[in-house]
Amino acid sequence: MATHVEMREIFEDIKSDLRYDHELNGCLNCGICTATCPAAHFYDFSPREIVQLLWTENVEQVYDTMQEKIWACAQCMTCAARCPFKNSPGGLIAIMREVAIKHGMQSAKDVLRPFGRVMLKLITTGNQLSPDMIQPDHFPDWGPNIQKVEGNLKTLRKAIPVRTLQTTDTAWETSLKTSVEMYTIWEMTGVLKSLETMDENLYAVIEDFIDEKREEYEDQLAEQSDKGE
Amino acid sequence: MTISEQHPSDGSGIAGHGAFFQPTKLSPEDAAKATAWVEKHVDRRTLDLADRMDDVRDHMWQLEKEGEIIVHRVADAHRPIDAKTLFGWNKKIPTQQLWHHKSCGQCGNIPGYPTALMWTMNKLGFVPGKDYLDETDQTSCTAWNYHGSGVGNLESLAAVFLRNFHQAYVSGKQHGHELGHFYPLVHCGTSYGNYKEVRKYLIESPQLRERVKKILAKIGRLVDGKIVIPEEVVHYSEWVHVMRNRIASELQKVDVSKMRVTVHTACHYYKMVHEDAIYDDTVLGGNRTAVGTSIAQALGAQVIDYSTWYDCCGFGFRHIISEREFTRSFTIDRKIKVAREEAKADVMLGIDTGCITTMDKNQWIGKAHNQNYSMPIMADIQFAALACGADPFKIVQLQWHASPCEEVVEKMGVSWLEAKKNFEAYLKEVEAGRIEYLYDPALAISK
Repeated sequence: MATHVEMREIFEDIKSDLRYDHELNGCLNCGICTATCPAAHFYDFSPREIVQLLWTENVEQVYDTMQEKIWACAQCMTCAARCPFKNSPGGLIAIMREVAIKHGMQSAKDVLRPFGRVMLKLITTGNQLSPDMIQPDHFPDWGPNIQKVEGNLKTLRKAIPVRTLQTTDTAWETSLKTSVEMYTIWEMTGVLKSLETMDENLYAVIEDFIDEKREEYEDQLAEQSDKGE
Repeated sequence: MTISEQHPSDGSGIAGHGAFFQPTKLSPEDAAKATAWVEKHVDRRTLDLADRMDDVRDHMWQLEKEGEIIVHRVADAHRPIDAKTLFGWNKKIPTQQLWHHKSCGQCGNIPGYPTALMWTMNKLGFVPGKDYLDETDQTSCTAWNYHGSGVGNLESLAAVFLRNFHQAYVSGKQHGHELGHFYPLVHCGTSYGNYKEVRKYLIESPQLRERVKKILAKIGRLVDGKIVIPEEVVHYSEWVHVMRNRIASELQKVDVSKMRVTVHTACHYYKMVHEDAIYDDTVLGGNRTAVGTSIAQALGAQVIDYSTWYDCCGFGFRHIISEREFTRSFTIDRKIKVAREEAKADVMLGIDTGCITTMDKNQWIGKAHNQNYSMPIMADIQFAALACGADPFKIVQLQWHASPCEEVVEKMGVSWLEAKKNFEAYLKEVEAGRIEYLYDPALAISK
């Protein structure tokens, strides 16, 4: 349990985000956001409640909400489209999630644990899900008809008449230079640091991967330079 | 003088409205006359916020004038067609010289979506490498991850946006064209919404621009020391929307007038930066965004409205991966079941990766709770390509779909089994290295 000072610090981090004043303009408790919210159908979750807690600067309950409720939001932004005050409860929740990660909150760690493979793919390749991750074994709930033609994944992907899509371990073929540029973005924007806070083991794997790819890119540049390209 | 003195009352008033309110005692005819204006058609789209909202593009021109940014223009060479957005503002949709900005979920999951789009462009006479480019130098927008996990931030999203759009701006050089030759065409609904949101913050905040500029300088993604921002952020469904009549009149081969079509439009297309989504008075009365629906209408299909049109699909970004019970339940209850029972549709069309994946893959599991609903799910452009005679396997790539898309193919008069047999024979050719391409594969390699 955090102290009041820590809770206040977390709240101030949320409030100081550039987007905060755009996403929160006032609230009359009309509840349109909750009425249209898909997550409210299934979870103990109400976007109206989130907005009210932020609007009234109730730091203890904001903190409490960050333990679980903020992760229920489906981020569809229906609430934002419907709010008569032009609030964006979904946008505010995105900021709260970021802050939960920055502060290494246990709720964020728990929620993100099953995300490890996706995170690894995203950070290292700039893609999200790859064809080899969407195989019947991984998604038994998608049923037996998940793929209508039997066959080797590699061949089936080669049968896509577009060069960039003939891949199995990324959604599309990405040049090495692109990935290396991406690593610089992750580093300079503090994303890698957030990952380290969330999952040290995953971070270590990603760090090794990035180092390897950077070396590979340096070699590629040297080779091109030798060839006078 | 008090209010009560101004409005003398018999004291009874109307419950909850204070003593000075009292019944009008109008005749039913006079009462109808007095309130008729309320019942008249009021176009909330023009009354609501339009006058109070800033058009971000106005600020972009100003920043360009001040030497802060370069605006990647939709030029005459892009053969733009105008469309109207929510408040009646104009949006220029480029129709040629397009840079395909792919979608990570789409390419991994629904590859028939980009292939059907490129096939349609080829059929319209587009020349790959000149009229469009699909290349390896691009990343995803990373917003799926951001909305799902919270890992990432405004700065990283902005840097990724500007990096990818810079590449689009300079990509023509390698192929002998000027800067700005290719204009980005965003395939994913979330990328589209996210890029537009980030663009607004970049235009508003000099501090954000400054921070992101340092990153872009380091990776060599500035032009004359400036960031490049697009005049319009354009979604592929907007291209389909403005090209719908050409597609129908020049390419359509199959009569789809007996088909009942429902449309699910991606939330991030019209609920994020909603002032920039396209509306058209001839499509669903102009009350709902036009994309997706307009191509079905142009092809002559029966567009069926349904009560949960505005609902999301249940994708949830995080939920589709790690809390699928929510995704399944929502999509079956609010989309599949309604499209089947209420709309009695033959097919549900989408315009985005996440929605199509969600609705396509989460039907079979409904059997666990006696929810035996099934519905073919595909993208608008896949449906259009089928109506224009594209091969259901080689081009539309329906083999990757879990929903019963074979029903749509059969209803279009094409034998699914025959097409499947041909495709299986083609796989042998593929294994032998004889692959048919929509464009010269060498064009894809960015140098």
